[in-house]
Amino acid sequence: MIMVPILILQIFLFPIAATAIMGAWSNSRMTIELQEISGHLGSSIQQLYYTMNHASISSGELTAKVDVPILITDGNQGYNYLITLTNATNSNGSVKVMNLTLSLIGAKGEASTLVTLGQNADWQNNSTLKSNSFSLLCATKTSSTISLSFQGGT
Amino acid sequence: MKTGNATMDHLISLVIFIAALLIFIGLFSQSISTAIVYQSHEALSTKTSDLLDNILLNPGINATWGTDGSTPSGFGLQDPEFTQYQISSFSLMRLDSSTGSVTEYDKTSPSIYYNQAASSLGSFLLTPIVQDLNYSTALSLLGISNTYGFQLTFTPDITVSINQTQASSPLNLEISTSGKGFPFANAAINYCLILVTLPQSDMQYPSYTIQNGAVTTDQQGIVNVAFPNVTDSNQVYAFIAYAHLAGVEGVGYYTHCTSTDQYVVPIVQDIGSQQTALAHSYDLNNSNPAPSSLKYNVTFVISKTDYTLSQLSLDSSSSTNIVGIVTSGVGNPYPVITLPSYTTGILIITYQQEDSMQGGVIMMPWGVRSLAFPVTFGGNPAGQNWVTTDIRQVTIDGIAYQAKLELWNQGSQVIG
Repeated sequence: MIMVPILILQIFLFPIAATAIMGAWSNSRMTIELQEISGHLGSSIQQLYYTMNHASISSGELTAKVDVPILITDGNQGYNYLITLTNATNSNGSVKVMNLTLSLIGAKGEASTLVTLGQNADWQNNSTLKSNSFSLLCATKTSSTISLSFQGGT
Repeated sequence: MKTGNATMDHLISLVIFIAALLIFIGLFSQSISTAIVYQSHEALSTKTSDLLDNILLNPGINATWGTDGSTPSGFGLQDPEFTQYQISSFSLMRLDSSTGSVTEYDKTSPSIYYNQAASSLGSFLLTPIVQDLNYSTALSLLGISNTYGFQLTFTPDITVSINQTQASSPLNLEISTSGKGFPFANAAINYCLILVTLPQSDMQYPSYTIQNGAVTTDQQGIVNVAFPNVTDSNQVYAFIAYAHLAGVEGVGYYTHCTSTDQYVVPIVQDIGSQQTALAHSYDLNNSNPAPSSLKYNVTFVISKTDYTLSQLSLDSSSSTNIVGIVTSGVGNPYPVITLPSYTTGILIITYQQEDSMQGGVIMMPWGVRSLAFPVTFGGNPAGQNWVTTDIRQVTIDGIAYQAKLELWNQGSQVIG
C-alpha cells in the first residue's frame, strides 16, 4: 500500500522525463541538420558562382542538382523548411554577401550561413522558397551579372 | 510504532524512487548527448569537405590577388588561369605560414618584418608580412570566424631527396624518390647541375654553368649520378632533380656552399611590383656588421618542358644577369632587383666573399612550385576536442601536391 502512490506517480513522471529529453534531442538534431544543409547549400552556390565567373565563360546558364533532403524529421514527423536569401550587411564594396537562412516549417529550428560572392553576383533579395519547391541550383551569366536562383519542383 | 514505521517506509521508497528517476534521466541523457555529438561530428565532416572545395575551386576575389599584392575580399587558391584542382603557386606564396619564422630586416623600413615560409641554407622564400594573408582574415573571408578553426596544408606527393655521397673525382649524388608511403620506382629523373665558378680576381663576379642529364630510378626509387668533371671537393654547386612518372611530378634540390656563415638572402620586398631585395645575412635580425662584403651574380631561370633551365632577362633590361656587391651595416644600401614576370621560376644567386675563395649559391622559388616547398596555413589543431580531415589531390603548375584541411568547432558552434 505504501508504494502505490509512488508507482502511480512514476507512470506519469518517467514518460514526461523521456518526452522532455527526446524533445530536446530532436530540436538539437534538427538544428544540426539545418546547419549542415545551409552550409552545403552555401558551398554549392559559391562553387556554381565561381565556375560561371571564370574568364573562359562569357555567357550562358549552368544548373546543378541540389543534393539536400526535402524533409527534416524529428523521429516521428517530417518537416519542410523555408529558405530565405537576403543581402547581408557588408562594408566591403568589392564583394556581395548572401545570407542563406533556413527555418523549419511547423517546428522550432533555424540555421544560417554567409556566402561570399563577387560584385557581379545577383539574386532576388528576401526571396523565399520551400524545400520541396526546387531541385536545381541555377546560375545565368550575362555580360555584367551572374544571376543565382533555385529551379524545379519535385 | 506502526505510524513511525510507515513514515520510514514512505521516506525510503521516495528516496529510491527519486534515485531511480535520476538514474534513468542520467542514462537516457547520456545516450542522447552521444547521438548529438555523433551527428555534429558528421556535420563537421560535411563542412570540411565543402570548405576545402570552396577554397580550392575558386581563385578568390579579386582573382589576381596572388600576384598583384592586393588584399582579397574572398578567399580562394585556385589558379585563375585554369579550372579544377589547379592551385596558384603565387597565392600560396602569400599565405602567412604557420610553421615559418619571422625575420627582421631594418633596411627596408618601415616594412621590416618578413615571413620566412621555408628555408634551409641554399634556399629562401621571405615575403613581407604586411602583404601576407593571415589566418584571422582568412577566417573572416570564409565566413567562419568564431565558429570554426582550420589548418590547411599542401605537401608535395613526391619527395625527392638528394644526398652527396662523394664530394669529388667524381662528385656522387644519390637521388631518392618516394610517393606517399611507396618508392617512386622506374621514374624518369631529369636533373640540372649548376656548377659555380668563383673567380680569383676581385674585378670578376661568380658565375655558373649548367649541366643537364636524365636517369631512371630503380625499384627502390633510388638512382646515383656521378660527375667526373668535379675534381675539387670545395666545388660550389646546386643540383635540381625533377622526378616524373605517368603525369605525376616532383622536385628536389641540394646545394653545396663553402661560405655558410655569410651569404646573400633574397627578400621579396613587394609582391605587386615583384621587387626583391638582396640582403647580407649579417643584416638580418639585427646581427653585427659582417667581416666582409659579398660579390653576387643574380639570374632568373624557368624550367622548360624538357626540364632544362632557361634564363630570362632581369630588370626589364636585355641582360640575363645582374652583378654587384652587398655590404652589411648601417648606411650601406641594399641592392634591389625586379623579377621579370609572373612566371614561376627560380632566382639563382651565386655569391663570393671579397678577397676570398669562399662562396655559395642561393635559390629562391618564385612561386612555391619551383622548388616544391610545402605550405602550412591556419591554426593549430593540437588540443582541439574533435578534428575532421579531408584531402584532395591538386596540382601546382604541374607538380602533384596533397591538400589537406583539418577543421574543428570553435566557440558557440557546439550543440548538444
